[in-house]
Amino acid sequence: MIGIIDYGLGNLRSVAGAVERLGFEWVITDNVKTLDGADKLILPGVGAYGDGMRKLNERGLVEPLSDLVLNDKKPILGICLGFQLFAKEGTEFGYHKGLGWIDTTVRSFRDGGVTAPVPHIGWNDLDICKTGTLFKDVPDDALFYYVHSYYVDGAPLTGVTATCHYDLTFTAAIELGNIYGVQFHPEKSQRHGLTVLRNFLEKSEA
Amino acid sequence: MSVRKRLITVLTFNNGILFRTKEFHPDYRYTLNFVDAWSVDEIVLLDITRRGEGERRNFYEVVETFASRCFVPLAVGGYVTTVDDFKKLLSIGADKVIVNTEAMRRPEFITEAARLYGAQCVVVSVDAVKRADREYEVVIDRGTEPTGVSPHEWAAIAEKRGAGEIMIQSVELDGSLNGYDNELNRSMADAISVPLLVNTGAGNWSHFAAGFNEGGAAAVCTSNIYHFTESSVRSAKRYLARAGIAVRTE
Repeated sequence: MIGIIDYGLGNLRSVAGAVERLGFEWVITDNVKTLDGADKLILPGVGAYGDGMRKLNERGLVEPLSDLVLNDKKPILGICLGFQLFAKEGTEFGYHKGLGWIDTTVRSFRDGGVTAPVPHIGWNDLDICKTGTLFKDVPDDALFYYVHSYYVDGAPLTGVTATCHYDLTFTAAIELGNIYGVQFHPEKSQRHGLTVLRNFLEKSEA
Repeated sequence: MSVRKRLITVLTFNNGILFRTKEFHPDYRYTLNFVDAWSVDEIVLLDITRRGEGERRNFYEVVETFASRCFVPLAVGGYVTTVDDFKKLLSIGADKVIVNTEAMRRPEFITEAARLYGAQCVVVSVDAVKRADREYEVVIDRGTEPTGVSPHEWAAIAEKRGAGEIMIQSVELDGSLNGYDNELNRSMADAISVPLLVNTGAGNWSHFAAGFNEGGAAAVCTSNIYHFTESSVRSAKRYLARAGIAVRTE
């Protein structure tokens, strides 16, 4: 059973549709017991950073999730904003504390000097820089769908497995033990997106 | 390489049934025989049911079906007038919501929605007619109500208000297969910095290339040119790649 974390943000149904297509059972929930019983977790998300943390706090999910991920080592995949929330802080519309599972900061494209249109919307490349679990069977020229105005600063991280370029090079994916994160939307990136998702569902380990 | 130019399929639904349109009127009924296509970059679903006819529920069912079977971004519009409409459409699987008439009547609606769901979620669609003096004018309420506003000026305002993308449609060219109005499209592209989606008029692959090269489009949209069969999307992409346009060809 795959636990899709419901915190009132994000395209939960699309993520569930992709998981179902791959032949896995899923549940969309904010119930900690149910999430504890799930084999793996997915934290989706579309929206603003502060909003995301506020909603996780409102539903009392911050501590229980940290316990499941950091102590029980349950595999978790963060998608887009969900991935960004793993960081210790975000700067979207002011300073916001993140979940703090990965020791880095979420920064704005504009502050980084990006002059191209923001948000970065559309199909873009992925430079796989480190062998990992998520990109097995994904060809080098595969494209993925991105929608975001902020990015995870990869400089302090050891587990960056792929980057993408949009005026600046940013983190497209990380794998740090049981913690997996992708900036693009695998559930919206056609067959290669589904491959990434399948790799997480089948191969990720605690 | 950077972000690829997009090819978007627009599907218009009359009370939950797929219809082709001509000059904004349902023209003839299509068979919905695909859904599981891999090459298209994005899908737009529009509810074109006339007011007072049909049931909104039928359109919602269409959106749910697409959301569960298509793994590309889904933009949904038609009769979106409140943030509750955003909430409803996003909850049944839309990734973006398209607004038109209500945005013109109440521009703060764009800001309200962008604050709640992010600019990337808000697509402002602009319907234009060409007047006898060759000036363009925005029309709203399914092309029935003139506004006296120029399309490119409105596009710039909509972007400032929080639109993440702008879509432009020419009422006269809808269903014509004569090609896009790239004079109109260019005036829009030059007025904004967010992506421009151009719709209405495409009749062959070269019209797509012109939409990018002359119209300044980030994405070209079409509904009438093909039955959304997999081979035709792929063949369009191959044509564009040969024409030197960076598209997703996988």
